[in-house]
Amino acid sequence: MNFLPQLILQDVAGIIILGGVLVVVAVVVFLIITSNKGADHASDKNKFFGTKDRYFWGSALFLVCILFLSMLLLPNRRYQDEADEVVTVVGVQWDWLMAVGQSNQKPDEFIGKNEISVPVNKRIKFIVTSSDVTHSFAIYNKSGVLLTQIQAMPQYKHELEYLFTEKGKYTILCLEYCGLAHPFMAGTVYVN
Amino acid sequence: MIPLEPVRLKKERVLIITWSITFLVLFILLIFLGFLMRIGQAEMKKLLLADFYSLMTLHGLGMTAVMFSFAFAILWYLTSTRFTSLNIRIGYLVYFTLLIAIGGLTIGILIGKFGPGWFLLYPLPFKSGTWLSWSAGVTIISLIVLGIAWLIGILHLLYRLAKEFGGFGSLLGWQYLRKKEVEKELPPIILVTTISLVPALLAFIVGAVMLVMYLLQFIDPELKFDPLLLQNITLFFAHTFVSVTLFCGVAWLHQLLPEFTRRKWEISKVFVYFWNATFLLILIAWFQNLYMDFVEPGAREFSGQILNFLSAIPATIITMYGVIVQFYHSKIKWSVVPLMFLFGVAGWAIAGFAATVESTISVYKVFHNTMFVPAHLHTNMLMGVTLFILGFLFYFFCEKTRDYGGEIAKIGFWFFIAGGYGFVLMFYFEGFSSIPRRYARYTGIGIKSMHDTAVQFSQLSVFFVIFLFIGLLIMCFSLMSAFLKTERNRISE
Repeated sequence: MNFLPQLILQDVAGIIILGGVLVVVAVVVFLIITSNKGADHASDKNKFFGTKDRYFWGSALFLVCILFLSMLLLPNRRYQDEADEVVTVVGVQWDWLMAVGQSNQKPDEFIGKNEISVPVNKRIKFIVTSSDVTHSFAIYNKSGVLLTQIQAMPQYKHELEYLFTEKGKYTILCLEYCGLAHPFMAGTVYVN
Repeated sequence: MIPLEPVRLKKERVLIITWSITFLVLFILLIFLGFLMRIGQAEMKKLLLADFYSLMTLHGLGMTAVMFSFAFAILWYLTSTRFTSLNIRIGYLVYFTLLIAIGGLTIGILIGKFGPGWFLLYPLPFKSGTWLSWSAGVTIISLIVLGIAWLIGILHLLYRLAKEFGGFGSLLGWQYLRKKEVEKELPPIILVTTISLVPALLAFIVGAVMLVMYLLQFIDPELKFDPLLLQNITLFFAHTFVSVTLFCGVAWLHQLLPEFTRRKWEISKVFVYFWNATFLLILIAWFQNLYMDFVEPGAREFSGQILNFLSAIPATIITMYGVIVQFYHSKIKWSVVPLMFLFGVAGWAIAGFAATVESTISVYKVFHNTMFVPAHLHTNMLMGVTLFILGFLFYFFCEKTRDYGGEIAKIGFWFFIAGGYGFVLMFYFEGFSSIPRRYARYTGIGIKSMHDTAVQFSQLSVFFVIFLFIGLLIMCFSLMSAFLKTERNRISE
């Protein structure tokens, strides 16, 4: 997210959803309040049919605009093959193993640590896989805001690029339910 | 269709009454499991990890099975009493299979401690070490049996409807697109039922293939399947299934609401086009979940977002519009039934809107797998489907008295709305606060502020579930008294 900080993303989405909810509530209240007022059904129907085209094209146009804008924010494949540093990550029930550099070891033979240090303001490419079940490799900042995530799937190597712009301690959590100790599957990334 | 003979009508009534009571009992029990999970997350009572995940699995699998089965039962009842005769033995087959499957699931999950969640995401069911190995087999077989019964039930219903209305194309309303005058009018409930049940059929077939693969792996643990393929199948199945359950509710809304507003709900060309588009879109909306998988072709990720945005248009436009036209200036008497239908549609709209925002790839990256997912799922199922179901129950049990539970039912309804929205709101707040989903405890996160937020929202959630429970119990009491009153009148007649 180059021009929009992630912290705001959750809030923006929340505000948009709140706006949608308010529209729905307004329509429900309007229908209940006006239901007692009598009018000719046929004329009501014409009134609504008249607005339908506008409603349809209006919402279609709105969605197309949003689509276009939101696609500018695509998180994947932003600086593929141009990363400054590569980190290999293997999810195991129930721990994260990480090591700097690209590893050719098999996931179940991979040797890594639960903690890792990476440089600030460098493009980091995480190559993520799993040695058992599917996990999700999720990066949280120190305030507990989810910054990004990618599936860690056995037999597949998924890539996740991220640019840490602030120094500090980041927590890695598993976000794909992976069995008993799923809520305890945590790791740490130190950004120096 | 000629009106049903009294004997057959009675038989159909007995089936739906049995099914309704079973539904209410199972539904309340399954809500209670969810309640226990929230108590555990709220740290009000310590729940063993294995117990939490068993409850989570039974709550999820049980709810999806019970809600779809009962939605199907309602469509069965309305079809068999109004449109075409159905073989009641098949109705009972589906009913008893559901009971057997729920029994199997309960044994596998509560005794065998099977706990991979309702998604059964491959290869987790076979790689845990914490549940007894037979439990996976019992659960998989129970689900296969249930799926087969559903397949038979749906095929029978669609076959009879197609025969009654002149072919499958007519069920989809294609006769309205021709220039010729339509000979036999198609009730909108039939069209929406078809749009719901055909994708369900496809989902079940795909789901059955997946479960058979699981069964093979259970028999021969050396077997290995592609986890990406199975994840795609799981997502396709789960997404379609949830949409379809909701659309079943939308189907009977088209039939029952006009009885209250005294306005006909007609099929038009636009109606046919929009619902046929929905038919296709239901089947592809799951693409959004692929954003998480880097190895998926990029085009599918883009198309996932585009399709998701598009899928929001036809079904909502046509239904919201239809509902507004039904209610506006209708001079309707506001009993709980129209209230439930109106609020059910509102719940669907809110859930749908939240899901559309989430399907934007950049938002998805920070909302997926957080509590935002149970937030919109529960808005859909609890504040959408459940209200449609309760609306039907009040309609059915109060058909004779026509007081629809009176003021008592309304008190129950408002408790349910307040508790229900409070409950889902906590999920949304947790989602906005990045709280992960499917966490039995928040003590392992290592970020204190996050732990505290999650626990506080869970505690509030417990309070709201109690509210919701009270509402539900008041409504059950009201339904029960309406039922007894009707039965007493019947006997005295």
